[in-house]
Amino acid sequence: MPDTVQSAAPAPHSISATPKTFSPEDEAALRETLKRCSPSTFEAALQFRKTGNAEHVPAVVIGIVERFVEPDLRTKLKDADDDLRLIEDLGVDSLTMMEIVILVEDVLAMSIHNDELRNLRTVGDVKVFIDCKIRGLPLPKPTKFLPIEHIGAVMPMQPPFLFLNEASVNSHSANGKYKITGQEFFLQGHFKDNPVMPASIMLEALGQLAVLYLLEGHIAEPGKAVDATKIFFTGCEGVRAHRVCKPGDILTLAIKPKRNKMPLATFEGSIRVGQEKAIIAEEISLVFAYSDAVTTPSPVNGAARDSQTNGTQPAPAAELVRTANG
Amino acid sequence: MPRVFITGLGFITSIGNDAATVTGNLRELRHGFEVFPPFQKPDIPCKVAGTIKDFFTDSADPEDWTFSTRYRIKRELLRSMAPNGLFAHCAMLQAIENSRLTETDISNPGTGLYAASGGSPYLTHIHHERLLKVGVMRCSPLGIVASIVGTLNFNLVAAFKIQGASCGFSSACASSAHAIGYAYDDLALGRQKRMFIVGAEDGNYDAILPFAGMRTLSLQTDPNLASRPFDAARDGFVGTGGATVLVLETEDEVARRGVTPFCEVLGWGQASDGYNVAISHPDGAGLRLAMGNALRACRVAPEQVDYVNAHATSTLIGDVSEARAIRSVFKGDAAHVAVSSTKALTGHGLSLAGAMESGFCALALREGFVPGSAHITALDPACEGLNIPRTTQNATTTIVMKNSSGFGGANVALLYKRV
Repeated sequence: MPDTVQSAAPAPHSISATPKTFSPEDEAALRETLKRCSPSTFEAALQFRKTGNAEHVPAVVIGIVERFVEPDLRTKLKDADDDLRLIEDLGVDSLTMMEIVILVEDVLAMSIHNDELRNLRTVGDVKVFIDCKIRGLPLPKPTKFLPIEHIGAVMPMQPPFLFLNEASVNSHSANGKYKITGQEFFLQGHFKDNPVMPASIMLEALGQLAVLYLLEGHIAEPGKAVDATKIFFTGCEGVRAHRVCKPGDILTLAIKPKRNKMPLATFEGSIRVGQEKAIIAEEISLVFAYSDAVTTPSPVNGAARDSQTNGTQPAPAAELVRTANG
Repeated sequence: MPRVFITGLGFITSIGNDAATVTGNLRELRHGFEVFPPFQKPDIPCKVAGTIKDFFTDSADPEDWTFSTRYRIKRELLRSMAPNGLFAHCAMLQAIENSRLTETDISNPGTGLYAASGGSPYLTHIHHERLLKVGVMRCSPLGIVASIVGTLNFNLVAAFKIQGASCGFSSACASSAHAIGYAYDDLALGRQKRMFIVGAEDGNYDAILPFAGMRTLSLQTDPNLASRPFDAARDGFVGTGGATVLVLETEDEVARRGVTPFCEVLGWGQASDGYNVAISHPDGAGLRLAMGNALRACRVAPEQVDYVNAHATSTLIGDVSEARAIRSVFKGDAAHVAVSSTKALTGHGLSLAGAMESGFCALALREGFVPGSAHITALDPACEGLNIPRTTQNATTTIVMKNSSGFGGANVALLYKRV
């Protein structure tokens, strides 16, 4: 996952890769510090401190977050996707966030600056953030939560052929939701007296989420932006449908970029309904092209102004500033 | 002006963790002292403390604490508490229960909370040590609200969603008596209709032992002899912690809710010695004025007072100056009014004392008894001329006075009346 964040970065020098001799006293202190975390969290932290291997970091971070979450909410974290939100889903307030940060700093022997915390909204944000810090990589863009107005404004697909109601995008994944209303035109004939969401349309929905990722999450070359009119489907592999989806079902879509190098972008994708697997695609490939970056913000601003809903989305301008600062 | 009543009580004290146990121990004069394990070191001359039973709060980490399963407190609330915050939270729950308050009775603009504790020297120490050792950016984000004076009101106001007046009182051992006095004023002036008054202290090593340097702690090793206010052989006070919560309500609220109060709060008075930073005036000048002010404010004649719950902590100077003050206020009636110090049983609760002992007065008024002044074998001749019952009297009292004095010579006298 993290290597997709900045594949072009030079081989980074891990800040804690100087594996200082890790004494039994250090180990005892680490055990005490993590005494309320799961044994696997301690093991992962121990391995990280001994070897400097960043692969152990996600387990440490999740273990620490888990320790600060009320017990009845911890199950959410067990099979969490990276889109699980710290405040809304886990009840983590800003003071608890500070507690998490201080413990992470202690355990991973690193420092985190206040400003760096503001954009951490999901479990995935936290994992990627810590990983980037440790590998010395530039910090990723924060997760953007996109309501339908925003999606409609940036996407080349439009109703009645747009299968995303809401989405969140960051540099390492995109997640979306689509509710099958039963009003979709093709359900009249698929099938006779028995509306079932076509698997091909579900694959299309994943493809649309991948397009949204390229437009909103992909880190383009400097001065460039992905051209929305030049993204096309080229192929997919390993597609399996597991569940019949019908009107009323809410599809939870997730894609993760695997390789992104112009002109080819490949993703893995999955759709769930609740906890049930609906469809998976091992690989979805798109082609894309860049254009000059200047034109991209304008449709977003237009959409925000035209939108009847307000208050659900931070002003895009502010978001751009934040991204620039980040 | 509306009349004011005590309608709820909660206790976590060395002599019991609920009103029934406290009442029983006050009647039977059973003390709450133990040889306190943290004091058993050669360089610590004082050995005894009034211990809180069934609460284990030795760790600096609230998640290590264990206490009665009767109280369930989320980590989100616990993390910002000192031990005295935990005691107070539990006493709050008791007081809410026995005053039969609903959530809307508690959380509204007419209901406030005044609190008093000395903060948590223990947690202050722990957090500052961490600050010095691991750096300023790795201190607990809640270290301050858990440890400074004010920790009680910060925590309780947030936890119980208090919307009315709230603040902390800091006049050392007169603190929670001041809190009651000012809460009474807010109710009598119509500013609030209900007030919680909270007194609490950690009562641990760090809260009690700084008084050893002042030579004010008893060095007695026998828990049965250590605290004996008015006795000729007294040698200092015995420290204690815990919490007491009182619910004060206006007569309108009492009538609306249809509850039976423990007693009425008639009013109060205060005055200062203007004498010494730590030593009480030898003649109890400030306390005498405070008692006089209270009687005058409540239009009560000295001879109407049946019982004085004394501040008397079992220190050499303090007990005598209070005895002198009482004699000078009650004059010819001094031999009639019963005087006792329940600190002989509980130890000195510092900021907690005024609230705890006011709670005792409320129990005594409702249950019809005067707690005896325990552990006196030979009365100090300087305290003669007072009616100091050595055993508990079954007696219906009508008006009771509660004295509290703090550092700097701050003195408070509160008056309570049977309903």
